[in-house]
Amino acid sequence: MTKHPRIRRRAFLQATGVSISLPWLESNAYADPTDQPKRMLLISNNLGVLPRHFFPKDSGPEYTPSPYLQTLQDYRNDFTVFTGLSHPYVEGGHSTENCFLTAAKHPTGSRFRNTISLDQYAAEALRRQTRFPTLNLGVNLNTALRSLSWTRDGVLLPAIDSPAALFTLMFTQGSVQQQQELVERLKRRESILDAISATTSTLKRRLSKLDRQRIDQYFTSIRELEKRLESSGQWATTAKPKIDVPPPTDITDRSRFIEKLDLMLTMARLALQTDSTRIVTLMLDAFETGVFHYEQDNKTLTGYHNLSHHGQRAEHLEQLRITDIRQMELLGQQLKIMKSIQIQDESLLDQTMLLFGSNMGNANTHTNTNLPILLAGGKFQHGEHLVFDREKNTPLSNLFVSMLQNMKIETNQFGSSTGPLEGLRF
Amino acid sequence: MLSFCHKSTFLALCLIVTAPGWAVDSPDYRAIVGYITRHCSECHNAGNQNSRIDLESLVWNFDDPIVFNQWETVFDKVASSQMPPAPNDMPESDRRVFMNRLGNTLRDRDLQHIAAYGRGTIRRLTRSEFQQNLRDLLHLPHLDIKDFLPKDRESHHTNRISETLDVSRVQLAAYLEATDAALRQAAAQGMQPRKPTTRRFEAINMFTNSSTFGGPEAMFFAKDNRRLALSGASLNELRKNTPLDTDIELAIFRSATWPYYGYPYSFQAREEGAYRIRFSARAVLQKSNYTLTPAPHSVPMTFRARKVSGPDVTGDVRATGGIMDVSGEPGVFNTVIYLKKNETFEYSLLGLPQPRAINPPNAPLYYDFPPMPKAGHPGIAYQWLEIEGPIDPQTWPPKSHQILFGDLPIQASEGRLPFTLVSADPAKDARKLLLRFIDQAQRRPLTNAELSPFLKLTFHELEAGQPLAEALLTGYSAFLSSAHFTYTSDPTSLANGSRTDYQLALAQQLSHFLSNSRPSPSLLSIASNHKLLKHDNLRTQTNYLIDSDSFDQFLAPFTFHWLGLKDVWRDEPDIRLYPEYRLNDYLIDSMQREAMETFKLMVRENLPITTMVDADFVLANDILSKHYDLDELTGSQLRRVSIPESSPYGGLLTTAAIMKVTANGTASSPIVRGAWVLDRLLGTPPPPPPANIPSSEPDIRGATTLKEQLAKHASDQSCASCHATFDPIGFTLENFDIYGKWRSRYRSLDSGEEVTGIDRAGHEFRYFEGLPIDSTATMADGTHLGSVKDLKHYLAQQPRRLSRALANQLIIYATGTPIRFSDRAEIENILDTCQNRGYLTRDIFHAVIQSRLFTGVDND
Repeated sequence: MTKHPRIRRRAFLQATGVSISLPWLESNAYADPTDQPKRMLLISNNLGVLPRHFFPKDSGPEYTPSPYLQTLQDYRNDFTVFTGLSHPYVEGGHSTENCFLTAAKHPTGSRFRNTISLDQYAAEALRRQTRFPTLNLGVNLNTALRSLSWTRDGVLLPAIDSPAALFTLMFTQGSVQQQQELVERLKRRESILDAISATTSTLKRRLSKLDRQRIDQYFTSIRELEKRLESSGQWATTAKPKIDVPPPTDITDRSRFIEKLDLMLTMARLALQTDSTRIVTLMLDAFETGVFHYEQDNKTLTGYHNLSHHGQRAEHLEQLRITDIRQMELLGQQLKIMKSIQIQDESLLDQTMLLFGSNMGNANTHTNTNLPILLAGGKFQHGEHLVFDREKNTPLSNLFVSMLQNMKIETNQFGSSTGPLEGLRF
Repeated sequence: MLSFCHKSTFLALCLIVTAPGWAVDSPDYRAIVGYITRHCSECHNAGNQNSRIDLESLVWNFDDPIVFNQWETVFDKVASSQMPPAPNDMPESDRRVFMNRLGNTLRDRDLQHIAAYGRGTIRRLTRSEFQQNLRDLLHLPHLDIKDFLPKDRESHHTNRISETLDVSRVQLAAYLEATDAALRQAAAQGMQPRKPTTRRFEAINMFTNSSTFGGPEAMFFAKDNRRLALSGASLNELRKNTPLDTDIELAIFRSATWPYYGYPYSFQAREEGAYRIRFSARAVLQKSNYTLTPAPHSVPMTFRARKVSGPDVTGDVRATGGIMDVSGEPGVFNTVIYLKKNETFEYSLLGLPQPRAINPPNAPLYYDFPPMPKAGHPGIAYQWLEIEGPIDPQTWPPKSHQILFGDLPIQASEGRLPFTLVSADPAKDARKLLLRFIDQAQRRPLTNAELSPFLKLTFHELEAGQPLAEALLTGYSAFLSSAHFTYTSDPTSLANGSRTDYQLALAQQLSHFLSNSRPSPSLLSIASNHKLLKHDNLRTQTNYLIDSDSFDQFLAPFTFHWLGLKDVWRDEPDIRLYPEYRLNDYLIDSMQREAMETFKLMVRENLPITTMVDADFVLANDILSKHYDLDELTGSQLRRVSIPESSPYGGLLTTAAIMKVTANGTASSPIVRGAWVLDRLLGTPPPPPPANIPSSEPDIRGATTLKEQLAKHASDQSCASCHATFDPIGFTLENFDIYGKWRSRYRSLDSGEEVTGIDRAGHEFRYFEGLPIDSTATMADGTHLGSVKDLKHYLAQQPRRLSRALANQLIIYATGTPIRFSDRAEIENILDTCQNRGYLTRDIFHAVIQSRLFTGVDND
């Protein structure tokens, strides 16, 4: 009979505590050992959580944990929870999901265009220091419609939703001949891009004003791809990290949402731990998730989206609550493992800002204010419940600015920010 | 206060006006500002946070598309009497003058803009257009490069809007990969065609094991119409006999879903390619004690290409070889299937039971097979099967290779390509072949300056030591990834430019519209000779494209988005309420084909547009005839069947596919269905619901009907005025369940008349026939609708509105540009052309294609 996906995943997880040998890269060596890199892991569940169980009732460092935060009490001083944050003028129910990291206003407006997302913005500022400038991941994600990651032109960057494919990308070493071929291919690509760029420049002269505006996007793409090629040329010949872990097997059963999340979190951790990238986004496409296992042997009454419109029905609420708790537990597990991984004299969690949140304040009523937001790690002074005005929210982009600054990116502005987030201290 | 406000409005407008030639003191402008100050500014001012639009600072500059769009919104709100909000706020005479002045201004400005820049812009090809272009260019009909490219986003019920078809570095990188892969497939895979091998499987070798999931009822070996009860060991013994016992049959009674591996014993495709299959089979009925009798009806089947991975499927699974109807008389069937390396193929019987694992607590799992129907279990008994392949083309190197390398001789080699090109003068041949390839692939002639980078690139590769073929592939890949190939031009923007460019762009637009691909050689030659607008050529070519097989390439992308047919697989049925729909892929596949074929028939046969909503026929096959409660048909082929007067079916609206995509798997929603009709069929989508309004939820406990629940919000004036335009339509469709089957009562989980049984997967079920359906409704205009029949008559009386919706959608799809303000009048002209003959569907296609919106020139 069939092998159960869970068992295969266990085998994979058990092996992950293990020896990893990182490639030594001259360009990548930290100039100053005290200058440790900062990383980001940005997670959004596009249907959010039940607010009543998420937000603590009282504020400050002495806050009483809410039922959900109760599951994270072992790491109370490793995270901050926020009330009263949202993206101003980012309204329209589910339409806001692609704006979670961009803060682009009025996503239902007739001429809406998305803007650059936090991860891409940070990657641009960091330049190429790792094999992958960012990794954009998804669980049950409709990759055509949704992404957390958007380019400066407001173009969707599709996510990777296969752990196995991601593993190959990160760790499977090609032979010397393959590497050489890759270098040659990259060189050839550069020549191709030169040719395309030259011919398109000539073509552009024949185009009308409006056509030219349209084709500018094509030029931007050429330039961006050229930049990537330059640095991938360097990476092509660099050994990939060696890791003593068997490749994961994809869980194809979409109803195993929680297990898929667990596996993807592990992959995200491996990506950060091996310095394959500094920035990972992870979109949990609850909207696209049909009936799923909220418990090992129990399936939800209806698809995640219908479930989230619970209309206060007790059964729906209970299944949502259990689902949320299981996600919080996985978050706790992530914090625990990231804390235990030492890189030089810091933990992986010290290096990584883990953001967990949603574009939905309350999926039942389709509101996009008072978003559930939690930030862990990154050596912020944590352990508090920071409360902002529930009626007139503070821009979530302010938190993004604080995160960018924490990453040593000099900026005072991102999205709709009015400055760094008050009350959050480094 | 008010008067101060007015003054500032006027000043603000004066100061910002910059557009040359549009004097602020024009009479239109003065009049419009006057109306705005009198009727609008009280709310629509900068100080009012609740107002969505601030008319005080809305500038009189139509060059900015955003500003234009806002004025267009102002026009529409006033025209539809939504604004000003109180009906008496603006006298009717004022409203008319206002609309005239603003409307004329907007139309004139829009036409000026179109005259200067064209109606639209260049457009990136969609993923499916790009693939079809490569398939046709390279003569690779099965090329599959979709996975390389990101999916395209949908807006305006299509994924072909220029503005939405962005390019990112991801897209560009994907083009480089995809074109390289496609070109390598086009090149000869060896020095001669591969030698096919033939394998023959007698029935006992046609199945890996002696049994499958679901027990003997699901599958057994038979001899003389009786089951041969075989263990694995005894089967192996039989397989060792020479000669093999050819009187044994393999009988299968289940469909191919997890867990199942119904493929031949020890077969794997050595190489990717086409494989020819011959097999002998007959349809049977399984009677008690596992005996077989010939079946009176045919049983449809196809093959599924998949990995040899046992019950757990990994990787792709693809139906291949087409659907074949196996009848009670033994017959030999021929088909061609496509397999990737190391794949096998399994028997996929359609519409039969799908036993599923039952996992009782503390007990071993088992597979249930449903109880036997009176007549017996239908199935197929196979006698033998032969597979031969891979089948390569007879001419070598194949046509696809000749597109790339002409007739240059090849010689065996060990490189990435299995050959090298034999050339006395590689540089000369490189130049010749590159120019030849670009000449075949280009959308319009390239200038020397545009060509030279490709030549330079190819020569550079040659000088760097690349073999001639590789250097050429690099050049080709660059061309196919370049903007010359990945974009198409908008002909309306070229109408005043070079005639060749214009004619070719028009030809490209026509062929991408009706065949999702590049023009045929004959269409290209007409365009190259500048004759597309002469001698009825455009009409002839349109007819040719509609009547060609390639019209299917239009149907899917058009109807998938316009009618939402891509969503037929979206919602799983709630099997507690609808056990009969569990895993019924054949039904869903048939309903999707039916809806597409119905639209195809409307175009091909030039049926009236009202066929969208009403007709005296349906397209049905075996499973749909049952679904629609018609005389039972046999065979999987869809055919046109007249339906009795009493049948609620007929017309695209009430096809199962449309009823399914407008339901959610658990319940139908009159709101969604009503809004769908307004939006897709009538072309007047209702505004989106306000934020913070939860969606309605059906009460599956069966205590209240949705209609009763909705009555509540119909009493709220702000909801009611809008919902009155579409809820009634939805109510009359309530007799169609989530899969479009007729019902007279709602099903519920705990109240009503109990229904029990065992479903196709062997599961016991229990639901209740609950409250009766009330499908009467009164439209906003007072028309009383007693049933869906009345709705159909009501809608069929509005052929112009139905035609307008289709014409709009065709324009959007064909041009990639949403309907502009000045298009509205032209669309009325299009409809006028179709009016005399009673709005026939193909006529609408013609009128759209002949119109200025499509060609960019006035059609006299």
